[in-house]
Amino acid sequence: MTGWRQAGLILCASAIPGAFSAAFHPRRPGWVQDALKPGEIRLADVEGWRGTVRWVDARSNGDYDLGHAPGALHLDLLSWPAAFPLFLDQWQPGEKVVVYCGASSCHLAEEVAEKLRANGIDSVYVLQGGWEVWKARHPSQ
Amino acid sequence: MKLVAVCLFVLTASAFAELQWDNPDQNILAKVTDRTVVAKYHFTNAGKELVTIEAVRTSCGCTTATLAKKDYSPGESGEIEARFEIGGRVGHQEKAILVTTKGEPHNPSVLHLVVEIPETIKVQPELVLWRVGEAAEPKTIKVTVADGSPAKILAVVTDTPTVKLSVAEGLPGKSATVTVTPNDTSRPEGATVMIKTDYPADNPEAHYAYVRIK
Repeated sequence: MTGWRQAGLILCASAIPGAFSAAFHPRRPGWVQDALKPGEIRLADVEGWRGTVRWVDARSNGDYDLGHAPGALHLDLLSWPAAFPLFLDQWQPGEKVVVYCGASSCHLAEEVAEKLRANGIDSVYVLQGGWEVWKARHPSQ
Repeated sequence: MKLVAVCLFVLTASAFAELQWDNPDQNILAKVTDRTVVAKYHFTNAGKELVTIEAVRTSCGCTTATLAKKDYSPGESGEIEARFEIGGRVGHQEKAILVTTKGEPHNPSVLHLVVEIPETIKVQPELVLWRVGEAAEPKTIKVTVADGSPAKILAVVTDTPTVKLSVAEGLPGKSATVTVTPNDTSRPEGATVMIKTDYPADNPEAHYAYVRIK
């Protein structure tokens, strides 16, 4: 009986900090994850990849200048004629390409990803939640 | 009694934000020369109280919406001007504009803008790729002028002799198949294929495709 009591105490002792983390930790995972749309990827999955990830920022030029993922190339449909050859110079076949825009509600990343795929660029993904999610994960950058 | 108060509050709040839109869903066919499409959404405050427009948001960074002022007295009319930047977009485009008023912050008016954008000249694909060491087999790029477009393909040229081009014309000036063959795929290389057109007459556009050996 003493053993059961000790086990219960240990469980309670671990549950209290666990509950605090779940409630207040700034990087706590959400209770419910939104389903991925076709071609979308979660940031946590991208961070688990090995090898080079080619980041593409499909927001406006002004938003890009204010801050972007390290190494991200600015490529939206407005800048496409000038920026697509720059992308091609940096991109290597086999690399995974992740395109993001401002948030889940924007469609710029989907448009750019679709156009990249139409030109034979493989492994193109859209970051679920876009810059909002990236910024929340990397608040200091 | 509390229920009555809540009902009264809800009814009053609704009355505060009674914007009547003349044409909330607009369909626009862009011209091949257009760079921007402008849609104007005219509205009237059909309620009995002042309406304050708190926010006008768009579903895409490619669309901006402007409003001359925020407060509208009963019976007063106003207009939201939405500007859609075409950029490299083609085909069917649907954008939304959300208008939030102070009285109904959680129930915005949703305006729709549908734009059909003709593609003057289609270059498909824009990239032909060989891996280093791959056999230098020819690959093709199709160039097509949209039906109804006055543009004509004048010439297809490359900026480097490291790739050979051969152009098979389909409909004269309206379609062509460009066959690209690299001289050597043993090392990384890049080239640009330029498609010269005669349109618009004052500043004829060139379209591009890219050759990469990687």
